Amino acid sequence: MDPPPNPNPNPTDAQPQAEAGARLAALSLRGGRDLPPDFEIHEHHLDDDDDDDEGYLTAASRGGSSTCAWKGLRDDDRDGDDVSPPSPSSSGYAGERGSSLDDDPEPEPDPEPAQDWPRDKKHLDEDDASSSWRKRKKHFFILSNSGKPIYSRYGDEHKLAGFSATLQAIISFVENSGDHIKFVRSGKHQIVFLVKGPIYLVCISCTEESYEGLRGQLELMYGQLLLILTKSVNRCFEKNPKFDMAPLLGGTDAVFLSLIHAFSWNPATFLHAYTCLPLAQSTRQAASAVLQDVADSGVLFALLMCEHKVISLVGAQKATLHPDDILLLANFILSSESFRTSESFSPICLPRYNPMAFLYAYVHFFDEHTFATLLTTRSDAFYDLKDSRARIQNVLLKSNVLPEVQRSLHESALHVEDLPIDPSSQSASQPPQSSRDMSSQSLSSEMAIGGPAGLWHFIYKSVYLDQYVSSEFPSSISNQKQQKRLYKAYQKLYASMHDKATGPHKTQFRRDEDYVLFCWITQDFELYAAFNPLADKTQAIKMCNRVCQWVRDLENEIFVYGESALSW
Amino acid sequence: MGFSAAAAGDGAQLCVFDLRRGQQEGQELDKILFFHPADCPILLQLSVIGLCEGIVTFTRIFSPEEDCEVIESEKRSQVFYQAEPDIWMVLVVEKTKDNESTWRCGALQGILKEAHSLFTMFHGPIRTLLDRQPSAELARGHLRTFLTDYLSDFHVGKKLQFPTYRDSLKERGTIQMLTVPREVALEVQSLTTVLGSCLGNVTCQSLILFEDLLVSTTLPPDDTLNLYTYAVLRLTPRALSSNASSWSYLRKGTSVNAGPTSSSSNGTTAGERPLLREKFSKGKDGFVAPDFAATEVCGAVPLTPILWFQQAEERMYLCIYQHKSLTILLLIPASSLINREEGIAHVKKQMLENASQKIVTVEQKLTRGWGGENAYHVSGYRYLLVDPDRRVSRASPPGKVTTLAKDSLLALNRLRQEVDLEKSRYRRSDPCHDKDFEVCIRTKNNTWVIAKITRGRELYMALEKGGETLLYASTAVEKFSNRYCEGAFSTD
Repeated sequence: MDPPPNPNPNPTDAQPQAEAGARLAALSLRGGRDLPPDFEIHEHHLDDDDDDDEGYLTAASRGGSSTCAWKGLRDDDRDGDDVSPPSPSSSGYAGERGSSLDDDPEPEPDPEPAQDWPRDKKHLDEDDASSSWRKRKKHFFILSNSGKPIYSRYGDEHKLAGFSATLQAIISFVENSGDHIKFVRSGKHQIVFLVKGPIYLVCISCTEESYEGLRGQLELMYGQLLLILTKSVNRCFEKNPKFDMAPLLGGTDAVFLSLIHAFSWNPATFLHAYTCLPLAQSTRQAASAVLQDVADSGVLFALLMCEHKVISLVGAQKATLHPDDILLLANFILSSESFRTSESFSPICLPRYNPMAFLYAYVHFFDEHTFATLLTTRSDAFYDLKDSRARIQNVLLKSNVLPEVQRSLHESALHVEDLPIDPSSQSASQPPQSSRDMSSQSLSSEMAIGGPAGLWHFIYKSVYLDQYVSSEFPSSISNQKQQKRLYKAYQKLYASMHDKATGPHKTQFRRDEDYVLFCWITQDFELYAAFNPLADKTQAIKMCNRVCQWVRDLENEIFVYGESALSW
Repeated sequence: MGFSAAAAGDGAQLCVFDLRRGQQEGQELDKILFFHPADCPILLQLSVIGLCEGIVTFTRIFSPEEDCEVIESEKRSQVFYQAEPDIWMVLVVEKTKDNESTWRCGALQGILKEAHSLFTMFHGPIRTLLDRQPSAELARGHLRTFLTDYLSDFHVGKKLQFPTYRDSLKERGTIQMLTVPREVALEVQSLTTVLGSCLGNVTCQSLILFEDLLVSTTLPPDDTLNLYTYAVLRLTPRALSSNASSWSYLRKGTSVNAGPTSSSSNGTTAGERPLLREKFSKGKDGFVAPDFAATEVCGAVPLTPILWFQQAEERMYLCIYQHKSLTILLLIPASSLINREEGIAHVKKQMLENASQKIVTVEQKLTRGWGGENAYHVSGYRYLLVDPDRRVSRASPPGKVTTLAKDSLLALNRLRQEVDLEKSRYRRSDPCHDKDFEVCIRTKNNTWVIAKITRGRELYMALEKGGETLLYASTAVEKFSNRYCEGAFSTD
């Protein structure tokens, strides 16, 4: 099924078209054949299945080497745009989630133990002929320019060879005419293409996300691939155009699934900024000081993170770490079980730092959530870094950093309900957790509509620091479906504000059935805020100003800010 | 190299193809019903249509119920419109390196829709023509002459130029109405009644235009739109005076004679070219008729055009009468005439006898109240109002829109594109209910670009010299809405 590569394409030749036609004909024939009965049975609900998240809990990979280790994550794969609960007949998966999915808006506090989850969420039994597969809301494909499948979010790559060849035919057809295909739109479906040398990436989505948003996600998918393999994988294609790259990514399914899941919950995926764990300035300084100390002794980057949040990061002189690299690195580490079980020393590439070369990452988890990553260019640095880690650990224990981190993880989030009524009356250094305590008595009336003036949520990005902070979701956006919808709305707003030809714009007000959204971009910051759709404009503007003031008052706690940040 | 080579000379390609034809290998050429430019090598034509067909088939894997709308690549946009089941029209437009070729997919699709609607009005559905003559010679002949004449309106120099971001305060596929005071409205009403009774016992339909604006219609909205579009393209006094610079969105400033479509038009039914420029001229009797010298080669007496009105489900003869700025389109049901030309002559006579005075009066009163091309200019605002249900729009005069900065227009174009997507999302989720939507953007160059949809009606705006605060923009919309839209877009 894999066509030979065409080093000297003749665009006027009708052959590519004939080839594409033949493949498409083959596809439609396959689609027409009788489906196995199990597809027919659950066909009715797959339309409601939220593919967006599906699979992130699945660490089982092609190689079957990984296991699920997502204890900290909530059971949010089940929501999405679901209208009805999935049928229990759906590959045994839905049944385990119980039957009252939509009746209970609260996420389950304690998801099923990993080993109880079915084999995986890739739905390996599916292929392009399955109606279930066709109805998935968001597909991601990576393939080679000879049409060989490298990765597919759903279905078995081997079974998708024909489909992959069709994608290749479409892309190559346009490439051969000296052009590059960007996207195809058909009703609510959008097919977005990204060509990176010999590697093609495709997203087929009906999630109503913007082209820019989906393209950005493909860029991150490619970045994740580079993080694992570096760009020098291109040389394999130069030597052998029919090179089969899939085996090189064996066992990394969970990494891609986790990244795809992040597209619907992690604003860092579109903001190109990272977020920090709120900490008292002195606590963070203690952590930064020891990281700085370590960095001075030959480490390129030293990061201390709690889940996806940065506690502190330090780079050697003149070396800067791009927020996208932090995102991809954290995703790689957090989605690979092996990093959690032992100290690891692993080659990784930071695509924004240097896509061609491997660095070596020493990773150690101090507890379930908190881990240090030390990056070096030296492949023989394991024992040195192990010693450095021990030094870091010592300081963290002595300075009581780890318990503070644990406390912050559970308590320090920003809540819109805590927005100071009059910012001037609030102490500038008041940590968020205490302000929450103060206002907790009066919350009940506000909770129904969110924060003051109908404020539901906000994200504040410091342009200068490449960092953002976002508030917790209020009870009015308590379930995952609502939260994901809000993130999609933010993504659209971001794309609209950062239009390539005319942006960035200064302000935007947007009101639809679901929200009032505000965006405000200055040289220093970007504010994205969501209000109840009936919110009053004047009041909402006041709230935005107040949020900015609030964030500025707290910046020493919520951003990595100060000597350590300035040193790189 | 590639199919781009063919387009390079013209900047665009337009093709019509039928997916039910040419299904055997080697017969792919039979799918093509029309291709512009006609001199594009066959292999390139096949290549364009091959990609289009491939994508149509491919997208149906995921959305079998929905049509492919666009293929966007770095160098061109290919916009799709399934005009009739399995009959597709595709417009391929090349991008230039600057931002000048920034357009809106919906605006380009509007061209295809308009071309097809007009074609159907004159020749009936393409499928019917194909069924009537399976060799497709008839359909191809009509499409070739009709679409070539239609495209001539988009010629600028040697290139085809389609609406860009500079046209984002225009809406193709809508009617622009003249606002008439009550007293004149009664006169118009009375004139319409007289026109309706020209045939005696069978009622004639009519459209009355003043300049390029619609004054009254007795046809249903879709039929009105088609006939109005045709009138503004070819029949109003402006359209007739070939060198007039038009301010209507329907006509471009330059008028280029399409010339004979192609010398290879053998096999077509010569003559029926309703869109051929300068085909019509006004006679001494006030009726506008096909011009002998300019058109027919066969020497036959040109016949009164007969049109098919889809919504009214009737074929009707079209008589055009013009008095100064007033154009009257009188439609006589074909079924009511036994002898075509005699019957039409009789109706014309009746019309002159009974309606002449009223026509003069109406024209005088309308002229007296007419504020000229800038009649609907609102100082400080650049706007477009659309009522999609009534297919009506009103906009700032193009001369005023051109004063907007390029960045403002680009931002507005981008906003309209977003709104188009939101609208289709709403239509899919709940086709029965209009959803309200509002966006105000303060752009980099300090312009407010605004879109507001309220109860199905749409308002787009660019305010360049406005204040900095969002409240300024809101107040501006509120004022405009209260003063010019009967409060349709007001908050309360």
